[in-house]
Amino acid sequence: MKKIKFKKYIFRDLCLTLFILAFAFLLNLLMQTIFDTRSLIPMIFVLGVFLISLKTQGYFFGISASIISVLLVNYAFTYPYFAIDLISPECVMSAIVMLVVAIMTGALTTKIKEQEKIKAETEKERMRANLLRAVSHDLRTPLTSVYGSCSAIIENYEEIDKNKKIKLLNEMREDSEWLIRMVENLLSVTRLDSENVKIKKTPTVLEELIDSVLVKFKKRCPEFEIEVNIPEDFLSIPMDPMLIEQVIINILENSVHHAKGMTTLSLTVTTDSANAYFTISDDGCGIDPAIIDSLFSGYFNSDTSADSSRNNMGIGLSVCAAIIKAHDGEISVKNIKPHGAEFSFSLKLEVQHEQ
Amino acid sequence: MSNNKYKILIIEDESNIRSFVQTVLEATGYQVITEKTCENGIMMFTSHLPDIVILDLGLPDQDGIEFIKTIRKNYFTPIIVLSARTSEEDKVAALELGANDYITKPFGTAELVARIKAAIRSNRIVDMESSKKGIFTLHSLKINFDTRIVTISDKEVHLTQTEFNILALLCQNSSKVMTYSEIINAIWGYYDDSSIKKLQVNMANLRKKLECKPGKNKYIINELGVGYRINKE
Repeated sequence: MKKIKFKKYIFRDLCLTLFILAFAFLLNLLMQTIFDTRSLIPMIFVLGVFLISLKTQGYFFGISASIISVLLVNYAFTYPYFAIDLISPECVMSAIVMLVVAIMTGALTTKIKEQEKIKAETEKERMRANLLRAVSHDLRTPLTSVYGSCSAIIENYEEIDKNKKIKLLNEMREDSEWLIRMVENLLSVTRLDSENVKIKKTPTVLEELIDSVLVKFKKRCPEFEIEVNIPEDFLSIPMDPMLIEQVIINILENSVHHAKGMTTLSLTVTTDSANAYFTISDDGCGIDPAIIDSLFSGYFNSDTSADSSRNNMGIGLSVCAAIIKAHDGEISVKNIKPHGAEFSFSLKLEVQHEQ
Repeated sequence: MSNNKYKILIIEDESNIRSFVQTVLEATGYQVITEKTCENGIMMFTSHLPDIVILDLGLPDQDGIEFIKTIRKNYFTPIIVLSARTSEEDKVAALELGANDYITKPFGTAELVARIKAAIRSNRIVDMESSKKGIFTLHSLKINFDTRIVTISDKEVHLTQTEFNILALLCQNSSKVMTYSEIINAIWGYYDDSSIKKLQVNMANLRKKLECKPGKNKYIINELGVGYRINKE
């Protein structure tokens, strides 16, 4: 696949080089008849060489183009006409100038491209560092509570009465459940990373996906009923079902934890010819406009929000965004009227057949 | 004195998990034996002949898959796989080699006990009913294998040939997860590109006829990315 891409580049660059050179040559022929001056000729070729170096990969085409330009100028536009003359100092000078232009432009563009790559990589690295920081911060709280409660029970087994023990143990269970969810999210992230090219999509029946989501959600939050609206017809969507399942559950749980005053939580799926649209909306308090834009980035200053321990679902939502992005879909969130929040994401209905 | 208790063999190398699973199962009333490695597990199995095996896949000496392969040559004892692996391929591989069920770590004890009970029960049913076909009931669903008539609350449900065959297959393997390809091979006898789609469409129709709504599937439990199962009450 890489090889094909590489060949494609060469072919494209070659065409571009030949086209620009031919164009410059014809333009010069034209100029010569109109203006009767030759001072413009090398300039136009220099411009051509500059464009070629800018638009092609590496140095090869730029340098070749400059050599060809020198020869063309020498052959067609300087005395003796239509013959190569490599002795006159004028020729040698223009050859050197063109070569220098080609090499420097090549060097400059390569440098810019490299810098862009580095920038993208540091951005990725930064996101990962943020995620790690947020995760370790979020892991510490429940771990402290589990560790502390265990120690308390072991060391004071006789002194603590039975009800108190049950209470501590229940809290430990809640915290561990929360840790489990966190680790599931982290696993999903590594699953995205390890197959950094593309995730494996399998055709998944929408009804089965939703069924599985509802069963899992019911286990975690039995007190909430979800209003489900999905198309009646049989619908199969290419996706990694486990990851999409997690996206929906993360968003639902986010609503459960954050949408204060929520009475209904609904999950709606609609389709058009190209996409399936999943919409999860609640009628809770809505999302603070100050953080709504950074909701999927996984990084907002959690110190300001009085550190509400486990309710930081920032990681869950940024995992959602990463999963949907890996599916070539789109995810968004907005507040709705009169109150509440609406998350939506789209998935493509057809598998793209590309090599 | 503990002779009438079901005997469970746990093969798991993590001592903490072994100890809590053992504690829970003993408290529930099972007799428990434990092993740390695949090789010892096979030895323990052949000398004690447990009623059910709980098997971890990531064992220090060999992959737990090897245990399933060895045991399935001679025994039909239910095997429940504990898996820390999250990819569906591993689960499918274990199921197709003959494991009855899988539980992904981390799991709750209630869930584990429920799975064990279901596996033991289905194994007993197979013993008794494998010779005569008879009638299968699940909640209000009744399937008569002789007349091929399916009813819900005594109202007949009209299924196509294929739909009935799929339902019957799941019932005959109740409590066992049937993977997509196991079902496809049993129903159509061959597997091609359109098989999955055919199965999915048939399952969708079957669910519709059995009046199953998402999140409230009473009869057929759907194991996303792996297969389907029917749980005996």
